[in-house]
Amino acid sequence: MPHEVVIMVEGLWKQYGFPTPRLVRDLSRVLRGRRGDDERDEPWALREIHLEVKRGETVGIVGRNGAGKSTLLKILAGVSAPTKGRVEVKGRIFPMIELNAGLHMELTGRENIRLLGVIMGFSRKEIEAKMPDIEEFTELGDWLDRPVRTYSTGMLARLGFGVAVNVESDVILIDETFAVGDLKFSNKSLARIKEMRESGATVLLVSHSLDTLQFVAQRGILLETGRMVAQGSALEAINAYERLVFRSERERLQHKVRSRISSGEALIHGARIVDLAGNTVTEIHAGDPFGVEVDLELNRKLERPLFSLGILNAAGILCKWNISEEDGYNPNDLADRFLLTAWIRNNSLASGAYEVHFAVRDASSFETLERLAGVASFAVLGDRRSRGVIGGPCVWEARPRDSIRDDHEPRPEAPPGSA
Amino acid sequence: MREGVYTNRASQTRKLSSFRSLLFALVVRDLKGKYRRSALGIWWALIQPLVLMLLFTMLRGFVNIPSEGIPYVLFSYSALVPWTFFTAALSSCGPSIIDNAEVIKKIALPREVFPLAGVTACLFDLGMSSVILAGMMAWYRVSVGWALLWLPLLVLLVAAVAFATGMLLAGLGTFRKDFIFAVPFLAQAWLFVSPVIYPMSSVPDQWRSLYMLNPMVGIIEGFRNVLLKASGPPLEPLGISVAVTAILLLIAWPIFRRLSAYFADVL
Repeated sequence: MPHEVVIMVEGLWKQYGFPTPRLVRDLSRVLRGRRGDDERDEPWALREIHLEVKRGETVGIVGRNGAGKSTLLKILAGVSAPTKGRVEVKGRIFPMIELNAGLHMELTGRENIRLLGVIMGFSRKEIEAKMPDIEEFTELGDWLDRPVRTYSTGMLARLGFGVAVNVESDVILIDETFAVGDLKFSNKSLARIKEMRESGATVLLVSHSLDTLQFVAQRGILLETGRMVAQGSALEAINAYERLVFRSERERLQHKVRSRISSGEALIHGARIVDLAGNTVTEIHAGDPFGVEVDLELNRKLERPLFSLGILNAAGILCKWNISEEDGYNPNDLADRFLLTAWIRNNSLASGAYEVHFAVRDASSFETLERLAGVASFAVLGDRRSRGVIGGPCVWEARPRDSIRDDHEPRPEAPPGSA
Repeated sequence: MREGVYTNRASQTRKLSSFRSLLFALVVRDLKGKYRRSALGIWWALIQPLVLMLLFTMLRGFVNIPSEGIPYVLFSYSALVPWTFFTAALSSCGPSIIDNAEVIKKIALPREVFPLAGVTACLFDLGMSSVILAGMMAWYRVSVGWALLWLPLLVLLVAAVAFATGMLLAGLGTFRKDFIFAVPFLAQAWLFVSPVIYPMSSVPDQWRSLYMLNPMVGIIEGFRNVLLKASGPPLEPLGISVAVTAILLLIAWPIFRRLSAYFADVL
């Protein structure tokens, strides 16, 4: 039954804490003299969630911190009770919600594996049968017979993950477990999850690593303040998430002049991002040309004014830095107040939030007259899956091996040292 | 407001057998974890009742406590063995939910298993201190008979009282820590209203019926009769004890169940 629905969520609402009994609620309302309002003080962690997941699907859950991702997993795992609505899960669940906590610090790794297995509802026989696989997967070697209190965080996580991926489960819930371990281990874990999915397991995972999500998940949902604001393919959900993050990131950067060095001889009144038609924009589609327009006032006539423009991404990395002089712009008649626009026609910025730094210098004395960090901010939005600092496509090509006639690679048949 | 519903179809089939192996695994974990890294190890199981016995024997040197013609050392120790089990079980039940927060927050399993494992692990200590008791009984040449067959029932009853009370305190204590802080006080107060230091016969007649509402009365007296007098437990206190224990369980269990759905929210 490949299209069987294994997870069904209908109108799920969740509020943390023990629900106040109706009698107590009514009484306190009468005592306080308020009426009508049925809401409790605690905020809703999840509101009106509808979700259906079929057998074998992998669903990524994205959203900002506190959006309700972990809450949703906890409810699916049966750990936390839904406040309103209906949740149905078919099959054995393996929740990997920070299992690295270790079950008992004084017990050895092996004892913890057995205990974890039993807690998950597997028989001792099943666990013993899987023990060699788990041992091999975790790569802990002799450490398995030492108390887990001596383990590092990464080792604890490997222990939990090793059990999770080696026992048969129908539904696997994963919360941020990929962040642990080295690259080799996380690749191995990813490969294992793919295998499990192919054998019919349903996987729900929450991760902040969008790269992981888009390669592992087929479907995605986006949560924001407890609501499901987008769902679709993994890429669609990730794009919606990025738009959300960039927008809020841009708002944070907007009009927040971070540092200003000024001599009073030049004054930046403002700046905006414009499209080719001159309209103010805050979001630029990846690859589209745009301009940075600065409202500038010079109080002294400069012989060689020099403008510089820096574009930094959200991580603070300088992605682009230009000097007017080097770009061939050498005005000598600028005075008073004017609008200066720097056009970026080859926009190869990758998706993300950016801020603009701008400075005015006198090239003859190289004196900084005005320097403004965070003069404007904008977001680049794209629907490609590629990541990095620089966007834009590559041209890919494949040629048969025979046609390669390069000299820098020694031919296999040539004996070493004969050249 | 309509309550939320969660169902998981799958785990129903093997629930009972997996509950048993889960309980077993937790008990083993508790025992192993408890005594690893301690110098005296399992001897701790013997020290507590022995020290209490010495203290009470000393106390008897100052004030007159009747012991129904039984050597006082034996009289008090025979009651202290089940009593120590009771308090140990109670105090391991109380924090059992908070101590297992990491598991409870992540994995869905019947939460009763944690207080139950706490009580069960204490059976091991009970076994250890019983060995000393048996030695003392042999030393004083106490004759025993078929009445010993009552022992399993009595042990089960103590465990049930400890489980019901401990479960209730653990459940409530998850939301308000006060209930867990209260455990040692409760155990101390309970000692004085139970016939451990003194025999039930020294309780004035007019208070007797009220006194017997304490389920531990019938149990402790029962232990003493069975072990030292080679006779069955006094039936009236025992009957009351069974009834009160049943009522306790019927109150504590549903409350615990109801609370347990929200443990993960507050841990």
